[in-house]
Amino acid sequence: QSTIKWRMQTYAGAALAEHVVKPAIDTFNKIAGDRMQIELYYADQLVPTGELFRAMQRGTIDAVQSDDDSMASPTEVTVFGGYFPFASRYSLDVPVLFNKYGLNEIWAEEYAKVGVKHISAGSWDPCHFATKDPINSLADLKGKRVFTFPTAGRFLSQFGVVPVTLPWEDIEVAVQTGELDGIAWSGITEDYTVGWADVTNYFLTNNISGAWIGHFFANMGRWEELPEDLKLLLATCMEQSHYYRQWWYWGGEAGLRVDGTKMRLTSIPDAEWDQVETAAHTFWDEIAAESPTKAKVVEIFKKYNADMQKAGRPYRYG
Amino acid sequence: MPKVIRGYVRAIDRLNRIIGRIAMYLIFALVGVLIWSSVSKTFFTPTIWTLETAQFVMVAYYVLGGPYSIQLGSNVRMDLFYGNWSIRTKAWVDSFTVLFLMFYLGILFYGAVGSLAYALGYFGMEPFSFFWDLFTALITGGPDAAGEKLGFLERSPTAWRPWLWPVKVLLSVGVLLMLLQALAELFRDIAIIRGEDI
Amino acid sequence: MPYEMIALLMFSSMMLMLITGQRVFGAIGFVGAAAALLLWGTGGAEIPFSAAMKLMKWYPLLTLPMFIFMGYVLSESKIADDLYRMFHVWMGPVRGGLAIGTIGLMVLISAMNGLSVAGMAIGATIALPELLKRRYDKIMVTGVIQAGSSLGILVPPSVVLVLYAMIARQPVGQLWLAGVIPGLMMAAMFVIYIYVRCRLQPDLGPALPEEERNVSTAEKLRLLRAGILPLVIFAVMMVPFVNGWTSLVESSAIGAMAAFVAAVLKGRMTKEVFETSLRETLAISCMFMWIILAALGFGAVFDGLGAVKAIEDLFTQQWGLSPWMILVLMQLSFIVMGTFLDDTAMLVIVAPLYVPLVGEMGFDLIWYGVLYTITTQIAYMTPPFGYNLFLMRAMAPPEIGLRDIYISIIPFALVMVLALVLVMVFPGIALWLPDTVYGK
Ligand SMILES: NC(=[NH2+])NCCC[C@H](N)C(=O)O
Ligand code: NA
Ligand code: NA
Repeated sequence: QSTIKWRMQTYAGAALAEHVVKPAIDTFNKIAGDRMQIELYYADQLVPTGELFRAMQRGTIDAVQSDDDSMASPTEVTVFGGYFPFASRYSLDVPVLFNKYGLNEIWAEEYAKVGVKHISAGSWDPCHFATKDPINSLADLKGKRVFTFPTAGRFLSQFGVVPVTLPWEDIEVAVQTGELDGIAWSGITEDYTVGWADVTNYFLTNNISGAWIGHFFANMGRWEELPEDLKLLLATCMEQSHYYRQWWYWGGEAGLRVDGTKMRLTSIPDAEWDQVETAAHTFWDEIAAESPTKAKVVEIFKKYNADMQKAGRPYRYG
Repeated sequence: MPKVIRGYVRAIDRLNRIIGRIAMYLIFALVGVLIWSSVSKTFFTPTIWTLETAQFVMVAYYVLGGPYSIQLGSNVRMDLFYGNWSIRTKAWVDSFTVLFLMFYLGILFYGAVGSLAYALGYFGMEPFSFFWDLFTALITGGPDAAGEKLGFLERSPTAWRPWLWPVKVLLSVGVLLMLLQALAELFRDIAIIRGEDI
Repeated sequence: MPYEMIALLMFSSMMLMLITGQRVFGAIGFVGAAAALLLWGTGGAEIPFSAAMKLMKWYPLLTLPMFIFMGYVLSESKIADDLYRMFHVWMGPVRGGLAIGTIGLMVLISAMNGLSVAGMAIGATIALPELLKRRYDKIMVTGVIQAGSSLGILVPPSVVLVLYAMIARQPVGQLWLAGVIPGLMMAAMFVIYIYVRCRLQPDLGPALPEEERNVSTAEKLRLLRAGILPLVIFAVMMVPFVNGWTSLVESSAIGAMAAFVAAVLKGRMTKEVFETSLRETLAISCMFMWIILAALGFGAVFDGLGAVKAIEDLFTQQWGLSPWMILVLMQLSFIVMGTFLDDTAMLVIVAPLYVPLVGEMGFDLIWYGVLYTITTQIAYMTPPFGYNLFLMRAMAPPEIGLRDIYISIIPFALVMVLALVLVMVFPGIALWLPDTVYGK
């Protein structure tokens, strides 16, 4: 029996992958041993991130880690991956939404339609601005060229932000060469981990979403070929990686706000920031109007957030 | 050489020359877009479309200009030995090795067509039959019938979200033209071997 | 198949294909595509094309046609003629002075374009005939022009450093600044070499005869004005860039525009000049783009088949070399590969393997970019495969034979190796300027 070999590519560059995926894959490889080995590749290494989905669907790459938005998956749920504005507040919201509020089923179905196995959804950090110049009001956002997610970019452009998408590994340099004024792609933990904190000066404490939604996927055919126990092992290792991220980000966000020295913190007053939150709800309705599936997901977001609101502290304050 | 072949070589040379000479001027489009990008950034609000537009123009520039650059002989070769051979020997060797080039271009073309089909919403494994269906639908049922065959149109994962099929059409056509030019080069080499003129 | 075998097989078949003399991009592309088809498994055939999408997203490449266009406008429109006159009159009286002046000319031209082709063209068409007429040694001047023009890729703007920046993911601004002092140093070393040689063997570079030296001081000063244009073009492009007002790609467009406008204002933008610059820019840009496309495909297949990891292992684990030994070995392998491989292909294929290793060993990647560029300069001149060699062969007058061309580069290549060693041993030569400007 020869070793099953998979190639897996992540949306993350090497520095970030070190935390968000490599430990899980190393664990898997160690346990699976001669039976199966997964070779991990980083952002744009084998195929550009924009081609990730198709490469997986065709079997050029066997498995992928990404949010739906970055890899432009041709599904109804794509806009919700990455950062859907204000859909979540804490990283624990994501597993609840997927496991308890029914998003898992919707995702599984949507991806099965296009020949891809949705293995597991995981949660990441909140989405903040890291910029060269300080942001103290909504007016400061005007004209800023910012690396961000496609959907977040669409949403933010109403505040004058100019969203730019570039290969992940090029971001740091693009900030230095003037292609970008800043980044709205992650929380502060990543800013420090991947080096963006070295090229930007300010961190805006307001976020446009509390947690990122990202997934592990596999080519459906290759997934089906795996024996049951390897499927289980793979899914378990991926689930385990979510746990690592929960504490790594949660602790990192707080720790770096308190002890970080590379970025100054600024805030937009809550009253002003409310405009953004209100705009987000309009945006939700626009998206819901696009298709029944999207309407269903937006409905779930609404229900979940209403429930959290009713539950009160510590789920929601005010 | 048979008349068809001579006709082919002449037609392809002409076609690619014309296309290449049009592509040549795209450099001004590129300069224009980039200068507009810096002007708008300095004096107004930066635009969200300039960088991607420039990238699309660049693709058109080098892909459509490619066959013409072959005609101009600007694709370097390592001429350690090649440089010393007679014209006939070069033609002999080239007429074999150009097949390798054509193989590469063929694989590129295959990839381009598959990727284009995907951009038009076809997720199956036979892109060529998809295009055949599309074509027959267009002939028999007009644009509406062809539109029916299309699926989820791929967009660039950016906030501007342009459709990707136009640039993929460009790539497919450009690579095909490259392939046709390479075939013309092969015929030219064979003519040289046979001591004829095309 | 073991990974080492795959690496070896892919590399050697690429070499074999190159030797047949087929177009470089075809040779590389073929090996990549064939390996993908045979060894990858499902979906391998898609990889060569997905390289095209990667290429599209590599935005710094947009600067390529811009810098090439700048170079052709400069050389075709003969803007450089005035510059040449300036150096001629000022340096002529010195022994070997015209050759020294040619180096000066090359430095200024280097500051206005990103490759060495423009310098080669200007050197071979303007300087070379004049030097030969003045009974300069033909071997000496052939070398001067090849070596001098290669400064085009070390002195900013530099296309090679842009390509390196993309692969090493390093800021172009710092890389360019890092090239300034090594570039000037190397120019100075050429000058010293020429001066000393001509002292020892005066007939290699005779001083201008008395009657040609009679130029009035007023006229001499007037000629100095020619030197302003390059500085203006350089400044128009670099100042907004270094200050962050315009991005790299925007600056390159501004530079191309500036060169074009200068040629128009000086009344040099004739129909032929326009036609040739456009056509040649397309031709050279296509050559580059197709090579990069093929090499990106090759590289992805090479990587996906595990060959990259195998080579890393070889360097670090199996041979157990120290960081400096690895570094020297890498430079040597670049020099050897550079003798018969296109530098861009070499960069796209090999650098993704070397650069992370260099970073992990704790070396500075800006500094390494300068080392790489100097190696490329050497590669441009060393037979059998070298761009400046090709150009020299195409442009040289009949009295300069192939043998002359080959011999001419020996002393200059040695000077370059010396410069390489100096920059290796004293990284400050490269790093001082970027560190100061960007206040690291
Ligand atoms: N890698 C290449 N294809 N280089 C082509 C250009 C070479 C030329 N000598 C220059 O620097 O201008
Ligand atoms: Na230069
Ligand atoms: Na060489």
